[in-house]
Amino acid sequence: MSFTHLHVSTAFSAHYGVSWPEELAAAAAADGATALACTDRDGLYGTIKHLKACMAAGLDPIVGVDLAVFDDDGDLRTQVGGRVVVLAHGENAGAGYRALCRLISDAHSRTTGKAGGTVPAAVTRAELASRALDPQTLEPVLTVLIGPDSDVGRSMGGRRYLRPRTLFKQWLDAMPAGTVTAEVVSQLSAPGEHLSTAHAVRMLKLAAEHGVPAVLSNAVRYVAEDGAATADVLDSARTLKSLPELAGEPLLQPNGQAWLKSSAQMLELGKEIIHAAGFGAADLKSLLAHTEALADRCRMDPAADMGWKQPVVPEAAVIGIEGDPLAELAARCEAGITRRFPGISGSSAVEMRARLEHELRIIDSLGFASYFLTVAEVSRMITDMGVRAAARGSGASSLVNYLMGVSQVNPLQHDLIFERFLSRDRATLPDIDIDVESAERHNVYRKIFDRFGTERVTLMSMQNGYRARGAVRDAGLALGMEGGDIDEIAKQLWRFSARNFREALVEKPELKEFAGRVEQRDFTGNQQLDLLVDLTERLDRLPRHISMHPCGVILGDATLLDRTPVQPSGLGLPMSQFDKHDMDPMGMLKLDVLGVRMQSAMAFAVREVIRLHPSKADVVAAGNHQPGPDGSGPDYIAEDGTIDLNAVPLDDEPTFDLIRSTHTLGCFQIESPGQRELIGKLAPREFNDLIIDISLFRPGPMKSDMVRPFLEHRHGFAPEVFPHPDLKPVLQETHGVTVFHEQILKTFDVMTGCGLARADEFRRALGNEVLENQVEEFFRREAKRRDYSPAVVDKVWGTLKAFGSFGFCKAHGAAFAVPTYQSAWLKTHHPEAFLAGIWEHDPGMYPKRLLVAEARRMGIPILPLDINRSQAEYRVEPVVDGPDRGKLGIRLSLKGIFGLSGAELKRIVAGQPYDSLADLRARTRISKPSIQRLAQLGAFDSLHRAVGGNTNRADLVHHLQQLQTRTQRKGAEVIEGQLALPLGDVELTNLKGGRPAPTLVDTVRAELDLMAVDVSAHLVDSHRPLLDRLGVTTADQLLKLRNGTEVLVAGVRVATQTPPMRGGRRVVFISIDDGTGCVDSVFFHEAQEQAGPLLFSTRLLLIRGTTRRTGPRGISISASMAWDLSRTDTLPFPAAGAGTGLGGGAGTGGDAPEGPPLDMAPGALDGIRRTLAITGFSG
Amino acid sequence: MGMFSESVEVACTPEGRPESLVWAGRSYELCAEPVRWFERREWWAEEQRAPLGSGPGLVDSEIWRLEVRDASAPDQSLTLDLSRHLRSGRWRLLRLHDALAGQRRPASA
Repeated sequence: MSFTHLHVSTAFSAHYGVSWPEELAAAAAADGATALACTDRDGLYGTIKHLKACMAAGLDPIVGVDLAVFDDDGDLRTQVGGRVVVLAHGENAGAGYRALCRLISDAHSRTTGKAGGTVPAAVTRAELASRALDPQTLEPVLTVLIGPDSDVGRSMGGRRYLRPRTLFKQWLDAMPAGTVTAEVVSQLSAPGEHLSTAHAVRMLKLAAEHGVPAVLSNAVRYVAEDGAATADVLDSARTLKSLPELAGEPLLQPNGQAWLKSSAQMLELGKEIIHAAGFGAADLKSLLAHTEALADRCRMDPAADMGWKQPVVPEAAVIGIEGDPLAELAARCEAGITRRFPGISGSSAVEMRARLEHELRIIDSLGFASYFLTVAEVSRMITDMGVRAAARGSGASSLVNYLMGVSQVNPLQHDLIFERFLSRDRATLPDIDIDVESAERHNVYRKIFDRFGTERVTLMSMQNGYRARGAVRDAGLALGMEGGDIDEIAKQLWRFSARNFREALVEKPELKEFAGRVEQRDFTGNQQLDLLVDLTERLDRLPRHISMHPCGVILGDATLLDRTPVQPSGLGLPMSQFDKHDMDPMGMLKLDVLGVRMQSAMAFAVREVIRLHPSKADVVAAGNHQPGPDGSGPDYIAEDGTIDLNAVPLDDEPTFDLIRSTHTLGCFQIESPGQRELIGKLAPREFNDLIIDISLFRPGPMKSDMVRPFLEHRHGFAPEVFPHPDLKPVLQETHGVTVFHEQILKTFDVMTGCGLARADEFRRALGNEVLENQVEEFFRREAKRRDYSPAVVDKVWGTLKAFGSFGFCKAHGAAFAVPTYQSAWLKTHHPEAFLAGIWEHDPGMYPKRLLVAEARRMGIPILPLDINRSQAEYRVEPVVDGPDRGKLGIRLSLKGIFGLSGAELKRIVAGQPYDSLADLRARTRISKPSIQRLAQLGAFDSLHRAVGGNTNRADLVHHLQQLQTRTQRKGAEVIEGQLALPLGDVELTNLKGGRPAPTLVDTVRAELDLMAVDVSAHLVDSHRPLLDRLGVTTADQLLKLRNGTEVLVAGVRVATQTPPMRGGRRVVFISIDDGTGCVDSVFFHEAQEQAGPLLFSTRLLLIRGTTRRTGPRGISISASMAWDLSRTDTLPFPAAGAGTGLGGGAGTGGDAPEGPPLDMAPGALDGIRRTLAITGFSG
Repeated sequence: MGMFSESVEVACTPEGRPESLVWAGRSYELCAEPVRWFERREWWAEEQRAPLGSGPGLVDSEIWRLEVRDASAPDQSLTLDLSRHLRSGRWRLLRLHDALAGQRRPASA
C-alpha cells in the first residue's frame, strides 16, 4: 500500500518551504504514491503549481493550508495559539475548495497588507468551525488536523497531563462532528522533545482516548534530506536571527528529518510509533488506513472542484447587456464601423467586412464575446473618467478591438494578423493590456472595483523570489556575518542569478576581489565566505513574499472569491494569492492595466494647451495646425480647444520632420541614444516606418544583425532579395528582412498552406527543442510538396529557426508606435506644453536636467522659481517682459526642491500671493531651512525687486542664515516652524547690503544642489573658456563634419549603457550633453582600457574620438580616450603654437589664448553630490 | 558522564540496528532495546561547505543510545550514546552515561 503525504509545504510557503511543487510531485509519484497534498503556510500560494505538477506526474492533488489559529483565551487580535492544517474535501462540486478559499481570506481579513503589520494572518476557531460545514448541505467539507504545532501539540512538552486534554476537548467542542483529526508526527528528534516519537505517541493516545481518528504525516518542508540546510537558512531569514542565535534559543528545527519520506520509511516510522505506544498491529493498520481514507476524501477533481481551465467572465448583466453577448458584440462593432471607417466602400469595405466576420466567428467558437465586451467596458469606463487609455500588445491585432475603441491601430492598414492574438487552436483567454496615465492608475483600479463590485474584482499578485543580492544578504545574516561586510559584497552582485554565484566568482571582474578572499579561507579563517556562496546558491529563486502585481487586475463573476483567496495589498485593495502563472489554469480573466508615465505627460500637455488657448482658433494658431476642411482647423481639435490625440491623423509631415531630425529627446520609445542613432539611419517617412523602427530596436534584431541589411535595402545601397517570389508580398514592407512575428506566420502559411492559426502554433514551437524538430519536419515536407526547391526551403527554414525565438510582434510595435507618434506630434506643435508634461511626469530614461537643457536648446524660456507664480506643477506661461516677451515659457514648480515637504508645498500654494517674507512665514509656517533654500533659488527675487533698494539675493541668503544661527544659539525652546521669531516688519527693505551678487556659477550650483537641475544656465557654460582652449567641438557643429574626423567633445554625462553585444565583448555607450545637444559616444575595448575608471566615475567628460556618420542626420563619436574635465591638470591642452591641431577646423581652439592651463574658476558641479539625479548614473 | 569522540566498531542487524560493539579493545553485547534519534549539528560552524546536493547528514547525525554489557563482566551494564555519521557510516562514541545507566533522557541534549 502506498502512503499519502497530507502535510507538505512547498517553496511557496515563503521563508519556510524549500522544494518546488514539481520536485515534490515527481518524488511522490516515483515512490508509487497516488495522491499528494500541498498545504502551504497562510495561503494557496503554491496550490495551482501543485495542481499542474500533480497532473503531470499522474497524482491526484490534495489541497489545503497550514494556518495559524488565534488563542481563544488570549487577545483574539494578536495572540496565536498554534498552527493547524486544514484540508479541503474533494468531489463535492467545489464545496470544499470554496470553503478553503473563504477561510484563508478570513485569515487575512484583519491584516493590513503593509510590512510590519502587528496582526498575524490567522483564523479564530469560530471561523474555522463555520467554514468546516457546507452552508447548503451541512456536510463537512474541511478537515482540521490537530498536529504537533497546534496548541494541543505544543502543550505536550514536559509531563503535563491535563493541559493537552483540556485543549483537545475545546477543539472537539468547538468544531462540528467529523471535522477534526489528530495528526501524528515523529521526526525522530531526541526522546521527549518536540517532534520526537514520544511526542507522537502522546498525540496518538490522546486521539484514541477521545475516539478521534489519527493520521500519520511527516510535516514535510523539503523533498529530500539535502533541503534541511536550506530550511535552516529560511528559518533564519524568517525570524531575522542568525543560526547561532537560533540554535541557542532553540528555535531551529530539531534536526533535518522533515523530508518527503518514502512509503516504506513512513511505514517504519508508523511501526516505531505504534511500538513505542505499546499498541499492536491492528492499531498500525488503523493509523495508516485513516491516513489513506482522509487522503481519498480530499482528492480533488481539478476541473469539477476548482474550475481548472474554465474561463469565467463577469455576468452579462454586469456589463450592461441583455440577451446574446455575441449579438451585442456584433452590434457594437457595427456601430464602430461608421466611426472608424466613415464612408468606406468598394473592395476595402468587402475586405473589412470579411475580416470582421472572421474575427467574430473565432470569438463565437471560443465563447469569448463576453470577454471582449468586458474589456471594452473597462476601456470605456477609463475613458469616461477622462483618463487616457490605449491598448498595447497583441490586442492591437484585432479589428473588433479597434472598432470598439479598445485599440487605436487599424489592423487592416498595418497587416496585423488576428491569429497572433486569438485562434481556435488556442483556447486560453488572450491578454489585452491597457496603458493608462500612471498618475491615475490607482484611481482606475478603485473605479474597476466600484464598477464591477468587490466580489468580482481582485488585484493579481506576484511572487518575489530571491535574487543574488537578497540571497547573499540573508545567507550572511544566517551565518551571523557583519552587516557592513555583507553589504559590501551584496553591492557588487549585479544581474546574475544566485544559482551561478560560484561561477560568477570566476568570471566577473567586479567580483575578483571577493573571489580572492574566498580562496584565502585557509589562512584567514574565511571559511564563512565559502559557506556564504553555498547558502546564497541555495536560496536562489525561492519565493520571499508576494506583492501587488504592477498591473494585473482579475475580473470574474460573483463566484470569484470562491475560487481565489484574497489578502490586502499594500494599496489596501484586495489581492489574489495567485500570480500570473495561475491565471490561465484557473480560467481567470486578467487585465493588465499598466500605468504609463508618458500617457500622464501627454494628458498633462493637452490640459496645458487648453488652459493657455481656450478655443479652437487659439490652439490652431498656437500649434500651427492645418486649416482643415472648412478653414477653422482640423476636426480633432474641439471648439473649446481640446485636442483628441487619438484622432490626430498619423501622417503629419512636420512631426516626421522632427523625428528625422533626431531631436527626439522626451519622445516615447525613440529618445535613447541607440534609438536616436537608428532613427537617424532609418529616417522614418510614415507611421509604418515607426512600427518597423520600434520593432527593430529590440535585443534580438540588434544582436542578430538584422538591422544593417534592412537599412541597406531600404536606402537602396543593396538590392532587395526575397528567398522566393511567393514571399515578396510577405516581406516587402521590410525589404526582404524578416522582422515581425506576423511575417513568420505568413511565411509558414504561404509555403505550407497550414493556415494562420496553426502557423502561430508553429511559431510558438520555434526554439523549443522537442517541438521545433516536428515543425521543421512538417515545414520541409509540405514546402517540398508545393515544389519549393531544397535551396529555398533550407534558406527559409534557416531564417525561421534563427528568428523565431526573439522576433517581435508587429501588433506590439504598432501599439507602441501610437504614443511614440503622439508624443512627437506634441513636441512638434506644442513643445512648451509637452516639455512641461515631461518635466512633471518624468517618463523617460534621462535625468530631468537634460530635458530642461532640451527646452533651452529649443529656445523655450525657462522661468525661474517664484514664490507667487510657481505652483505645485510645472506651468506654461506667456512671458510678459524681457527679451523673450511674447514667447511661451515654462515656470519651474515648487515640487522637487530638496527639503521642502509636501505639506509645506501645499500651504505655500494655498496661500499665494504673498506680499512679504513675513506674510509668507505667518501664513505658511514653513521651516527656516526651506525659506533659505527658496531664497537661494531666487524664489523671492520678485518680492525683492518690488521693494527696490540695492541689496541682492546673496544679502538675503546671508540675512536668513544669520537669523537661523541666532535662534539656534537661543536654545532649543524655540520649535522650528513656530511663529515665535521676532522678525522685522520690513525685512527686505531693511536688508543690509554690500555682498557681491551671486555669480551665475553660484546660482547654477545652488540649483543643481537643491533641484538637480541647472536652470539659469547650462552647467557646462561655466567651463566654456576651458573648452575653447582645448579646442572642443560642440554637439551642434558635429553634423557638419566629415565622417572619420578626429574631434574633442565635452559635456556632462546623461546616459551610460552597456548593452549585450554580439560576440560578447562589452561595449560602453556614453552620452554627454554640452548645452547645444547630445553627443553619443561609443567606447570599444581599447578605448575602455585607455579611459579606465573614468568610464564610470566621471560626471564631466572630455572625449577624444572620430566621427561616425550614422545617417543623413545622425553622427556619433567612436571614442579613443576620455578625461575628467574637472581635473584640469590632466587635460590635453594644445601645445603653444599648435593651433587648431584638433577638430579639423571646426573647433575654436585656435582662437583661445595660449599659455599655461587656466587657473579654473570653480565649476557649477563642484561640491555637488547628487550624481545620480544629475547624470542618471552613479557608477 | 563524559564527552568523547572515540571511534567504535558496531555490528548491525540487516535493518541497520546495532547488535554488538567493540570499544577500546573490548566487546559488548546489547542488553536492552536501543533508542535512536537524530540530533542537529552546528553545521555552519563545523563545515567548510554546504553546497546544494550535499545529501543527508549535513544538518543532523543519527544517535543511538545503547545499553551494553561487557561479556566478561555480565553484572555491569553501560549506557553509551553513539553517533553514526550518515555520510561515512562511521560510528563514534559521543557520551558515556556511567552513573546514569538506564535513564532514557539524554543528559546534555
